[in-house]
Amino acid sequence: MSAIQNDVVKPQNIKPWGINYKPMIIGMLIITAIMLTARWYQQWAAWDYGLDASDPIFDVYWMTIFWAQIIIEPIIFVVFVGYLWLTRDRHLNKLSKREELNKMMFWISMLVVYAFSFYFAGSFYAEQDASWHQTVVRDTSFTPSHIFLFYMCMPVFIIIGFSLFFYAITRLPFFAEKLSVPLLLVVCGPFMLLPTVGYNEWGHAFWLMEEYFTVPLHWGFVFFGWSIIALGGVVVQVLSYLTGDLLPSVLNEKGELTS
Amino acid sequence: MKHNKMARLYVKLVMMLVLFSVAGHALAHGERNQEPFLRMKTLHWYDIKWSVANEATVQVNDEVTMTGKVHFFTRWPDQINKPTTVFLANATPGPVFVRVGTWLNDIPMIQSTGVELGRVYDFKVILKARVPGRHHVHPMFNVESAGGLVGPGIWITIAGDWEDFVYSIETRTGVQIENLGSYGVENVVKWHVFWVAVAVFWLVWWIRRPLLVNRFLLVKNNAWSELITKTDLMVGALLIVFIITVLIVANKYTKEEYPRTVPLQGGKVEVNYVPNPEEGQVLIKNHTAEYYLPGRTVTIDLSVTNNSDKAVTLGEFTSANLRFINQDSEEAMSRVDVGYPDELIANKGLVISKPSPILPGETRRMQVEATDVAWETERLSSLLNDPDSSYGALLFFYDDEGSRYTAEVYGQILPTFFDK
Amino acid sequence: MSLTAEEARLLKAISVPNSDAAKIVRNLDWIVVVVLLFAVTAAFHIHFMLTAGDWDFWVDWKDRMYWVTLTPMILIIIPAALSYPLMAKFGLPISGTLCGLCLMIGEWISRISGFHLWAYFPYSMIWPAIVIPGLMLMDLFYMMFRNVFLTTIFGGASVALAFAPANWPILAPYHIPVVHMNQLVNVADMIGYSFTRTATPEYLRFIERGTLRTFGGESTLISTFFSAFVCMILFYMWWRIGQFLSNLGTIPNQLKTMVGLEADKDEA
Repeated sequence: MSAIQNDVVKPQNIKPWGINYKPMIIGMLIITAIMLTARWYQQWAAWDYGLDASDPIFDVYWMTIFWAQIIIEPIIFVVFVGYLWLTRDRHLNKLSKREELNKMMFWISMLVVYAFSFYFAGSFYAEQDASWHQTVVRDTSFTPSHIFLFYMCMPVFIIIGFSLFFYAITRLPFFAEKLSVPLLLVVCGPFMLLPTVGYNEWGHAFWLMEEYFTVPLHWGFVFFGWSIIALGGVVVQVLSYLTGDLLPSVLNEKGELTS
Repeated sequence: MKHNKMARLYVKLVMMLVLFSVAGHALAHGERNQEPFLRMKTLHWYDIKWSVANEATVQVNDEVTMTGKVHFFTRWPDQINKPTTVFLANATPGPVFVRVGTWLNDIPMIQSTGVELGRVYDFKVILKARVPGRHHVHPMFNVESAGGLVGPGIWITIAGDWEDFVYSIETRTGVQIENLGSYGVENVVKWHVFWVAVAVFWLVWWIRRPLLVNRFLLVKNNAWSELITKTDLMVGALLIVFIITVLIVANKYTKEEYPRTVPLQGGKVEVNYVPNPEEGQVLIKNHTAEYYLPGRTVTIDLSVTNNSDKAVTLGEFTSANLRFINQDSEEAMSRVDVGYPDELIANKGLVISKPSPILPGETRRMQVEATDVAWETERLSSLLNDPDSSYGALLFFYDDEGSRYTAEVYGQILPTFFDK
Repeated sequence: MSLTAEEARLLKAISVPNSDAAKIVRNLDWIVVVVLLFAVTAAFHIHFMLTAGDWDFWVDWKDRMYWVTLTPMILIIIPAALSYPLMAKFGLPISGTLCGLCLMIGEWISRISGFHLWAYFPYSMIWPAIVIPGLMLMDLFYMMFRNVFLTTIFGGASVALAFAPANWPILAPYHIPVVHMNQLVNVADMIGYSFTRTATPEYLRFIERGTLRTFGGESTLISTFFSAFVCMILFYMWWRIGQFLSNLGTIPNQLKTMVGLEADKDEA
């Protein structure tokens, strides 16, 4: 028997199509607020108080921020990921296809927030780092540029990336059924940018004193940055699933939602 | 007894806090985190003069000149390259000052150069004020593989408006460039906008059509004629022709408009050492050098051999921009300019065990003490954290006619933790 | 390959104008476009800045040898890799154009915000190179040929062959000779010398400093052709890497039973 529902009267309780963009917009606004505040802070506090790490005033204006970041960020990570895991859907096998579609689209919309935060780490603050270190004599690993790039931007996108991963494996049957390797790369590859900081600092302390940007001690970042190519793989996997399974089960031939 | 000890400790603590807070105002530029042996055995800057006073205010576009001498230490650290490639520069927070001219022994220093160890060179740096603010201004040498080695600095406030900064030059082809900072930018932006517009056109060409699900299915169905239509191919071909034509035509016009160009100039300039009559006449041998931590005192047991024909007195001990002056020597004291950065002149000066003049031909063994909290605030005492516990310094001697004799001293330096 | 019955129905469904199906897929399009814009900017920019960045930051690093040779080689990597999923899976010949546009936007924002507003460098010193024409030609040739080998040769080479010509119109004014302090330099050297770059002295420039043979001053041409050759190899290599990364599958999820899914059955 054909699964096409041509002339059947539509059930009255079908919710019309719509995506709630509010979480995405709120997420982007929060990221924007954090990033622009940091940039504003750098504009004055970097030159006035950030040139000499051995000066007590540096501790006041910069190291306090550093310590605040490394205390608050792991807490937020544990809270977000912990919440997502503890409130996981324990009956994913009973999730309706329409609900699954809604959640999938919501999840994809939150990928926007992930990519947006990655933009600040990979582009905005990263290249700005060159403008700072090619101008100012580098003294320690904690500079006004690094304190925001490595210890704020990177943890922020790591928190979002892992949250998205945990959302996917706890609420989306497609990602819970089997772990998507491209998705793992898209989340873990950028995560590895943070441990690469260790290699970077070792290089600056013991290997190369000159402030080139294009040096081997930076290429760990390049390598892990490549993992974003796997985003293409994620799109391909998601599209395969959407076209082969999910969308045909919620749409009829006329393009109407059936559930 | 206990009370006295506690009281002394308390006073020391308070003094330290006071000194720290005062010293904190002399913000450095990160050079405090360079290894002490690097700062003490590489460059010694002296006779530094600025054309404005410490804490002076200048207007945007005003010029400031720094002159002085820089001595490249003979016992250059093995850990860094020899100074065969160096660049005379200024340590300022970036381009808040524009570099108008730099000279080493009167040779222009636009390019990098190489210098000889053990030699002293005269430098001159002319800067032009550009960005308002309070800035620390030092002369500096960048040394290949070591980075920047910074000289003493003063505070200069630039007043005015950044917008008013102007730096005009005339090219060899007669083009008058009104402002170097904005030259050519309009053309750059114009071309960028043009190519961005072409790119946006191509992206919009595709984005206006259904993108993902439709095309994914069509690809799966091998329906390439629907995916890439004849119109697409035509527009694509036109774009290829368009892009290549624009490149060819633009280059043709550019060659006509700028027929005379030269590539980036990557040569090195050569500078000769000018014999310095102040050197080589007084020789020093280091016996023992100690750094006494609690008192922040460097004590050196050395022998001085006077090979000149005049009696000389030790006037100054200088290392890593710190100056310890023999306060009993008028000549040495006169060499400290009014307004020279306070934090670089030791309050207690230099204490010499046998201060009488050293006669021509005499070799005298003596002890010198250089005490100042600056050893700690400048983080030179962190030589305890160094894998190389050595020091280097310059000593200045003066005869009664005011002539100066310079000598290097170097050796191992031993930490002392307890009162003797 | 052909469509299953369900996929064929879906294709029909999404073609119905203003239907729920059409809205869903169009929403998906826009969201993914925005994701790609940010993600590609981040990834391509960080890749580019840490490999060819120094030459791109400063006008007095843009020489006839290293800049012309290395930049196209670095540029082609991520667009070549992304061209696989975009073209082979979605029939979209936009990888190079998308990457080039994203890079330009990311670079201009960072030059304005970081290099100029924060570190005070003038725009004449810090403008980014033009990368779009060569990358667009790569896309266009891929669309015309739809064949990876022909694209490797024509598309790969185009990225390098177009680079110097695209930039000469904006670079030439900076190569006018100037005599300053009785020394010959060009305007770019003069800008680099004048606007103090405290931690980046002149000798740090990785530029052509002269060899015994420069073939009558045709350094740019030689660098371009060498770069074109390497770009061809890189295009193919990275297209394959893109293929690999796009076809990665899945691995078992040990935690699936904790969300109510059945455990994987062991294979008999």
